[in-house]
Amino acid sequence: MLLAALPIISLPILIHLINQRRFQTIRWAAMLFLLAANRMSRGYARLRQWLIMLFRMLAIAGLIFAVSRPLASGWLGLTAGGRADTTIILLDRSPSMRQQSSGAVGSKLETGRQQLVQTLNTLGSARWVLIESTTNTPRELESPDALLRLPAAEPTSASADLPAMLQAARDYIQANKSGRTEIWICSDIRQNDWNADSGRWQTLRDSFLELSQGVRFHLLAYPQTSSGNLSVRVTDVRRRQTSDSAELLVSLRLTREDGADSSPTRERGVTGNDDPSLALRASVPIQFEIEGARSEVTIEMSGPQFELKDQRIPLERNHQRGWGKVSIPADANASDNDFYFVFDQPAPRQTVIVADDAPAARPLQLAAAISPDPALRCAAEIITLDQLPTIDWERVSLLLWQAPLPRDESAKRVHSFVDRGGQVVFFPPRDPGNDEFAGVRWQSWVESPNGVVIESWRGDQDLLAHTQSGAALPVGQLEIRKSCGLSGEHTPLASLKGGATLVGRATTNRGGVYFCATTPAAADSSMASNGVVLYVLVHRALATGAAVLGNTRQLVAGDASAVSSEQPLNWHQVAGPADALSTDFAFHGGVYGAGEKLFAVNRAAAEDHAAVLADQRVAALFQGLDFARVDDRAGNLAALIQEIWRLFLASMMIALIVEAALCLPRIVARAGSPAGASA
Amino acid sequence: MIPDRRSRNFLDAQVLSRLAAVPLFARRPMQGNVSGRHPSPHRGASVEFAEYRKYVPGDDLRRLDWRAYGRSDRFYVKEFEADTNLRCCLVLDTSGSMEFGSNGVTKIDYARRLAATLGYLAVQQGDAVGVSCVAKGIVRNIPAKRNPAHLMSVFDILEHARPEGETQLVPVLHELAETIRQRALIVIVSDLFVEPAELRGCFQHLRFRKHDVAVFQLLDPLELSFTFQRPMRFLDMEGGPSVFAEPNEIADRYHKALRTYLDALRQVMLESAVDYHRVNLGDDYEQVLMRFLVGRTRGKGK
Repeated sequence: MLLAALPIISLPILIHLINQRRFQTIRWAAMLFLLAANRMSRGYARLRQWLIMLFRMLAIAGLIFAVSRPLASGWLGLTAGGRADTTIILLDRSPSMRQQSSGAVGSKLETGRQQLVQTLNTLGSARWVLIESTTNTPRELESPDALLRLPAAEPTSASADLPAMLQAARDYIQANKSGRTEIWICSDIRQNDWNADSGRWQTLRDSFLELSQGVRFHLLAYPQTSSGNLSVRVTDVRRRQTSDSAELLVSLRLTREDGADSSPTRERGVTGNDDPSLALRASVPIQFEIEGARSEVTIEMSGPQFELKDQRIPLERNHQRGWGKVSIPADANASDNDFYFVFDQPAPRQTVIVADDAPAARPLQLAAAISPDPALRCAAEIITLDQLPTIDWERVSLLLWQAPLPRDESAKRVHSFVDRGGQVVFFPPRDPGNDEFAGVRWQSWVESPNGVVIESWRGDQDLLAHTQSGAALPVGQLEIRKSCGLSGEHTPLASLKGGATLVGRATTNRGGVYFCATTPAAADSSMASNGVVLYVLVHRALATGAAVLGNTRQLVAGDASAVSSEQPLNWHQVAGPADALSTDFAFHGGVYGAGEKLFAVNRAAAEDHAAVLADQRVAALFQGLDFARVDDRAGNLAALIQEIWRLFLASMMIALIVEAALCLPRIVARAGSPAGASA
Repeated sequence: MIPDRRSRNFLDAQVLSRLAAVPLFARRPMQGNVSGRHPSPHRGASVEFAEYRKYVPGDDLRRLDWRAYGRSDRFYVKEFEADTNLRCCLVLDTSGSMEFGSNGVTKIDYARRLAATLGYLAVQQGDAVGVSCVAKGIVRNIPAKRNPAHLMSVFDILEHARPEGETQLVPVLHELAETIRQRALIVIVSDLFVEPAELRGCFQHLRFRKHDVAVFQLLDPLELSFTFQRPMRFLDMEGGPSVFAEPNEIADRYHKALRTYLDALRQVMLESAVDYHRVNLGDDYEQVLMRFLVGRTRGKGK
């Protein structure tokens, strides 16, 4: 509307031109004075005419701007013109949104909500829809004010998935056939929340571009990181029985965000060392709470990360299972100062080996049955394919399969086991066959009498990852004499020279399905004789598989696949935030119980890393779309936008007054009146 | 010769009767050929005492002042002022610009009224009246005479005067200064749209010839106020180039030029001892003439 009305500003010029065309003709006697006036300097008079015209145009412009009720701020300007049919608010509730700026009162999420309420109330819309990051489900709001009251707008421990939220918004627009839509995204643009590398972004961009109704994106970004913010994460909890009592061994990691430490207990240059990593030292009190009993340990931290290994916390001898919490003092982000954990007597690690080749099965049984810890009981059982139905799957952690790939009923049982979270490692049978499992099938055997060198393996994650001390597994020392090719979609974890996969992982929703292209049989490889790799591989798979058994579980908040199988609606809170709704327990960090089971829910590991998407990267994600971004900061009290029509109205009045002053005829001294005088 | 009795629309009998109560005086001595109301440069036989002078042989003994002889034993002759009539030359500007008039009365109409009324008043008191219509040159000219029939001719000339052509007032006034031989009252009725510096020479010429000069400058109210709402195209009434102007834009400078011109003209008139009357066409001509006549009674014979 504003743009359409802008040509009206030229109205004074048009009137002036029309007026020029409407001249009158008169026969005039006093040409003497007219000619003299024409000869005089007309600089001021002309300037005055132009000024009058300018101020008339300004007055009209002021009137137009005042009527169109523009909004103004440092960034928004006139981008938010017109009233939207639907306004969709995408609210990032991830833990990092609880971060506060130094000296500010509110967190990023609180500030963002208040700013959204103010801004959206000003802009107006026919319909308000909230899509928050835990459920990604559209929820209609009566007004933006509801954002301040809704529990669904409070922070959680669950990470956000922006592509999924945008997908939900897109589905909503399509399903409801809404008109012009504004999508407001309130987020701190953390990399783990935005998944900028995901292929879904391209699909989303294309789908939004296909929409016929205009969709405008506004990103209310809080990209500031809080340097010096500490986060705590428990990496391992073990209960150990000692001779006369028991103790809990807790390992944890403290991570500090980039930059200088802002902790009040910071000591600068204590050591007098010039090394910047040592120059910043801070003592951090760490509080352990075991079912209400607190103890504290103060550590000296220098550098960006600190690992505390096996901190011993004494337990009563009969204290078999329970929960605990690790806390550090409050800092910029309150959400990463606590970490909950649960502990229990470890469940027996049972392995089932389905093998049709005894030389291959025996090393597997040995590797699986020997426990790495005296407190752990490990058992391995070799069965044939026919005995499969007799297995008590609820107690099995690992299935080692050295037989033709399962089919029919067997395949269903194995799939069911994997979906529960079980781990399966397939070894090639003597006769590969044509069956496939999880999209992968064996090919023919390849014999290499001189042995094939293992060219590469993934040491960063999964079964062949480096040890906790950082040392690599001796995978390269293995000698592979016979290997069976793999076909189908899988992720190679180790590759032979020439590119053939030695260890690969098939894609699954839960659980783990691995394929090892050779067997531990002496004729096939040296995996048995050089047994470190085989032992580590089997026990890592076994540990992962055992983690889903037992009565205690460590869960990641919002991890739908892991949490949903535990029926979170039946949970009751044992420890955690008091304001969490029972329906949202799965999204809030805490300890929850359901019957005999205990669940510790915590934020995802990626939340501890403060990686923020670069501005160009964010702009690239919305390339081609109508996108505006504003960077705000937590605790900002100034409104993002405000109506400035009063300013324009005042401008119009000033312009009119100036114009009137310029139009006033000059006062002529009456004493010199030329009429009726005589000498 | 029977005078023409037809009425003239530029004459108003009531105005004439009211103005007849005030005589028309010359401000300077006049050289008339008959006795009249105006002072003469010569001694005469009026009742107004002028001076004593010593008797010289040849003087008329009847003019000896015997009383003075009785008091001082010396012979003195008593002299009196001579009264004479005047020649009133009406100079009427009939250039094209005199046709202008914004409220129904043109300058030429107004000039006719002024000239005719003055002519009538002059003849009534025995003075001679002549008229010259001037534009680019002397268009019509009739010498001053004092009989009423001559007045009718003057009226006829005034009635038939048509404003046309450009103003060449300066050479015309010089010419009149030369052609009017004896002292006269020269009444110029014009809008005087001439540079004041050029007029200075004319008036000084007339003064040098011992004429008593009176000027009525006629200005229209619109020329003084210059109030226009729209852009105007001004056509010169005397055939000059036309001017297109935005009145709002030019009004200031117009008024400034007008003020400069009027100030300069007033200065010229003062320096040339001209009896100058600036007349707004909106004013009543009777009042204008009354001011003129009354003003002259104060400066009689100076």
